[in-house]
Amino acid sequence: MSLLTAVPVPDAFETRTNATFEAMMWALSRPGTVQDLPAPGMTGIAEALLDRECRVFCDDPALADRIAAFGAALMPLPLADHCFLSLGSTIDRLAQVAVGSALYPDDGATVVAEAQFGTGQRLRLTGPGIETHAEVSLDGIAPGFWAMRAELCRYPAGFDLFLICGAQVIGLPRSTIIEVL
Amino acid sequence: MTIATLTRPWEAMSYGFLDASAKRELRRKMLKAIAVPGCQMPYASREVPMARGWGTGGLQVTLTLLKPSSVVKVIDQGADDSVNAASIRSFLSKVSGARETWDTTEATLIQSRHRIPEERLRADQVLILQVPNPEPLRPVEPNMSVARQMHADADYGRLWLILYEQIVRSGRVMQGAAYPSLVNGRHVMTPSPIPRWDVPKLHMAQHLTFLSAGREKRLYAVPPFTRVEPLVFSDVPYQVEDHAALTCHRSGMTGYFMNEIPQEDGSSAFELSDSHLGIKAIRQAEGAAVKIGPTWYENGKMPQ
Repeated sequence: MSLLTAVPVPDAFETRTNATFEAMMWALSRPGTVQDLPAPGMTGIAEALLDRECRVFCDDPALADRIAAFGAALMPLPLADHCFLSLGSTIDRLAQVAVGSALYPDDGATVVAEAQFGTGQRLRLTGPGIETHAEVSLDGIAPGFWAMRAELCRYPAGFDLFLICGAQVIGLPRSTIIEVL
Repeated sequence: MTIATLTRPWEAMSYGFLDASAKRELRRKMLKAIAVPGCQMPYASREVPMARGWGTGGLQVTLTLLKPSSVVKVIDQGADDSVNAASIRSFLSKVSGARETWDTTEATLIQSRHRIPEERLRADQVLILQVPNPEPLRPVEPNMSVARQMHADADYGRLWLILYEQIVRSGRVMQGAAYPSLVNGRHVMTPSPIPRWDVPKLHMAQHLTFLSAGREKRLYAVPPFTRVEPLVFSDVPYQVEDHAALTCHRSGMTGYFMNEIPQEDGSSAFELSDSHLGIKAIRQAEGAAVKIGPTWYENGKMPQ
């Protein structure tokens, strides 16, 4: 019996999670560029990244149930390594997001939130992944968010942000310097 | 959520060999590695059918990225046909159905031991370097808890001291491979044992680089357009190997990194270390329609 004579074919789960991760990887590698996810919404991101080793916070109870189905433990915000937040109205919770430390930068959380691309606040981005500078327009994020992010992300500590708009994603790692225009 | 809902039907083998939970852990760590360029992120480093120290770190990153449309190139010291490279490449292709290639310009994933190809990598390519020792501070600080604190404090004085001592003793920097380099102005990394010749290829590059050490269970990354600056003194400039004037005795190419082949009479012959670049040059000379991509070094010099 030879298990490897046939060409292996990925199932739908593997194809989906692989494509989701690849979109997130390129989004984080090139901050400000819009990458396409295989499916709209945050559930796909949770599916590609989360399992029983993760602690997650989600402020939308319906979404929290769907995320918890992947095995991650629902936790209070300061203890979570992946945070699914709505940043539209209030940013009070942001101060509690884990940012890690210079000693353990990987303790900084991954924050996933919804936003609208192409309208609203213009931002100028510089840093790794950007040759000179990049500009993005983002709407649906409460004013004051970017100032608070700059306050919290004391590189190499900080949190990494993925913004979702339908089936599109923009990544803003902690290394990106964001100027509000 | 119960264990029953998380359990999947039995399969003879997971696609891409690694199971889904191993891939998820690597994905999480790869994202953190991109977010903090040059900073070593710990990961579990699963068992793969290969001994630790033979490229298991690079292998796990490649396996996580593989999909049926991937095209994989694997090189060992620049050569596609060494036993280690050929075995890894055929394994990658067997477990994923991805196409194998020797051609740098065709590949989407390039796993490498100790070299970066001479042809420029594009924005859609990922370079995965196998790393034996990921800790640049190990020669000066064997205690890894202390080394972590030194990284946290950006306390890299002792690395400069090593370079200074080499200059005092030998008149030049003797560090040949794994030259310590400052990434994004914050973390010093060891760029795996690539020669000094290859370090400038990481600076403000188009492609994404992962560096992964399976035995040491750490991975780090250099995203595109990230500053990678070798540690140098302002009055002692960084020098790459003196290979600019050497000519490959098989392909006739000049101005690339060469392997030195000792001859019977005590002299040396040289051949291209990037073996497939040499093959392409020979085929081109024979009249075949082979396209050599743009190279990083032009006439033996890296354009500034």
